[in-house]
Amino acid sequence: MELDHAAVEKEVCKEMTEEIIVSMLKILVFPGALFLFALAFFYEWVDRKFFARVQNRYGPLHTGLHGILQPIADFFKLLSKEDITPHSSDKLMFFLTPIFYFALPLTTLFVIPILGQTSLIAFEGDLIFVIFAFTLIIITVFLAGWSSMNRFGTIGSMRAVLQMLSYEIPMGLVTTGPAIAASSLSISEIVKWQSPPNFWLILLQPLGFAVFTICLLAELQLVPFDIPEAETEIVAGWRTEFTGRKLALLRLGRDLELVLASALITSLYLGGSQQFWLIPPIVIFLVKTTFAVMLLSLLRAVFARFRIDQMLSGMWKYLLPLAALQIILIQLGLGG
Amino acid sequence: MSYGSTIKVPLGPQHPALKEPGNFLFEVDGETVVDVKPRIGYNHRGVEKAFELRTYIQNIYLAERICGICSDAHTTCYTQAIEELLGVEAPPRARYIRVIIAELERIQSHALWVGIAAHEIGFDTLFMYVWRDRETVLDLFEMISGNRIHYAMNTIGGVRRDIHAAMVPKIKKGLDFLEKRLKYYLDVVQTEQTILKRAAGVGVLKPKDAVDLCALGPTLRASGINNDVRADDPYAAYDEVPFNVITHDGCDVSSRMLVRCEEMLESIKAIGYALDHMPEGVIRVRVPMKVPKGEVVSRVEAPRGELIHYAKSNGTTKPERYKVRSPTLGNIPALCKMLLGGYVADIPIVLAGIDPCFSCMDRMAFVDVKKNKGWNWTMQQLRRKYAKK
Repeated sequence: MELDHAAVEKEVCKEMTEEIIVSMLKILVFPGALFLFALAFFYEWVDRKFFARVQNRYGPLHTGLHGILQPIADFFKLLSKEDITPHSSDKLMFFLTPIFYFALPLTTLFVIPILGQTSLIAFEGDLIFVIFAFTLIIITVFLAGWSSMNRFGTIGSMRAVLQMLSYEIPMGLVTTGPAIAASSLSISEIVKWQSPPNFWLILLQPLGFAVFTICLLAELQLVPFDIPEAETEIVAGWRTEFTGRKLALLRLGRDLELVLASALITSLYLGGSQQFWLIPPIVIFLVKTTFAVMLLSLLRAVFARFRIDQMLSGMWKYLLPLAALQIILIQLGLGG
Repeated sequence: MSYGSTIKVPLGPQHPALKEPGNFLFEVDGETVVDVKPRIGYNHRGVEKAFELRTYIQNIYLAERICGICSDAHTTCYTQAIEELLGVEAPPRARYIRVIIAELERIQSHALWVGIAAHEIGFDTLFMYVWRDRETVLDLFEMISGNRIHYAMNTIGGVRRDIHAAMVPKIKKGLDFLEKRLKYYLDVVQTEQTILKRAAGVGVLKPKDAVDLCALGPTLRASGINNDVRADDPYAAYDEVPFNVITHDGCDVSSRMLVRCEEMLESIKAIGYALDHMPEGVIRVRVPMKVPKGEVVSRVEAPRGELIHYAKSNGTTKPERYKVRSPTLGNIPALCKMLLGGYVADIPIVLAGIDPCFSCMDRMAFVDVKKNKGWNWTMQQLRRKYAKK
């Protein structure tokens, strides 16, 4: 009896260890952190290359095949550079904000289904978590610019917050569209709902898709909404004082945010990570997110930068009513 | 928005608009500019003193290096001045070649500016496109003179290189391509909504202010005032080559864009005419090394506006005094007027709107406003005053 007990315990232990190792691997390697880093660097390359080709330039060319390793090279180069903390800055905040800025999108990406139709961490209400994380990112941006005590940093962070006040509400409003359609606040459920016999939500709610994409441009601070870091006006805006390792983390954080944005577009409007015929879902996911990244970089290539007051009034005057209109249409039975 | 108290925001001295140094101290109330104090002189190189130390032939190359973008305007102005002192005139063919080079330079300079302006308002795609097409002009320059920027075409008494018959079709082909592209850009700056939002009604300079503050060149013409040295006081072959002086009465950055874009199209027409009607003959006359005693003022319409050179000769091989007044300096008071009352976010585009060229501009003179006198210092005096500290 005692022997049996020990054997069972051993068995349970073994199973538990295996389970822990597997989930650890999932979180740390695939489709977790390591995979997401690779994806972040890859999408930065896609963005830079596509943006350059639209502008009739070559873009990254020499590091790796067609410069595909350039973002990684940039990252390691920055890691080796001198790390300067300004004398008058808030030292603790200045040290912590790059870590937050990098960790927030990474954490948020775990609730997006990548491998199949269920994400690594799925719970009812993770959509709200994602929206919340977006707000936290901007608050981190604000703290980063504010703590650096640089006048350009301060102006940049103020602009970032002003910008957030304008696009946050249309974005929050419009993301309820997919949630209403799937009657769930979980991104995994929304993705599942979009598989046949139902359609991709971009077909049912094109207006919502457009509003969401514009809001993401503002969230990612891309042209025409790169107001917080307008280089001809305020140097690098809120990032002016960051150097070396901190800048490397900020850049990786930005890339992860790009992955998060494209993954959200994919999951909410493009059907997410579905199996299609014999092609595995991960490939479908990658194709769709690459398309989303290219859409974002195309949009940032064809506009000039708005002024902050023009952006604020434009968002409140046009985008918010459009978002509301989309929700009204859904309630009337169209697009849901 | 007003917060009751103002804060001071410096812009520059590192590259406020183009990649050249200049400093502007803004007094800002909320988002509105209430006062501007320009501070110039970061790029003073002692060019005028250097003129006095070199012979007239060496000075051609020095004049060329006053500015990279409008190098031909400076040499044209210089050689014109010295030719007048010598009492010689460039042969007709040389005068036509000067027109062709000057107009090509105007195209490349304005194209450069359109790119910069697009960059200032965050429209990098237009910036890249315009600069790609600007390469056409630079390639033409390379074909004609062997250089892309410092063409070294002018010399006292004519030009150094001829434009051969074989080059003419190539130039025309390049210009045809440019004309198509420029018409497209003209359409873009008139219709693209994000550009209009940033440029229309921004940096307003009323016609009266423009005249009172001595604005020059495209900045003045964009305020609706018809003023162009090429038409008012023709030099080279401008009395024979037909062209229109472009004016717009929008008085804002948007009309400055339009003026420059349309001027490029005008230049293309003028070059086409000059190529077709170029007289045969020599391209230069020989001149003596020593220049007779005298004083002269020479004027040229550089891409940025009216350029003035003054020379005083004492009968030797070197000038006794030389003075350069570049268009950017003339535009600085008008610029300060444009910036007042504007938004902080509009500062870069307004600043770039006059197409500033600080390396052209910076000269050194001391002025005591209270005692109302001005004077110059020698290098030794400067050293004595500041080097020890």
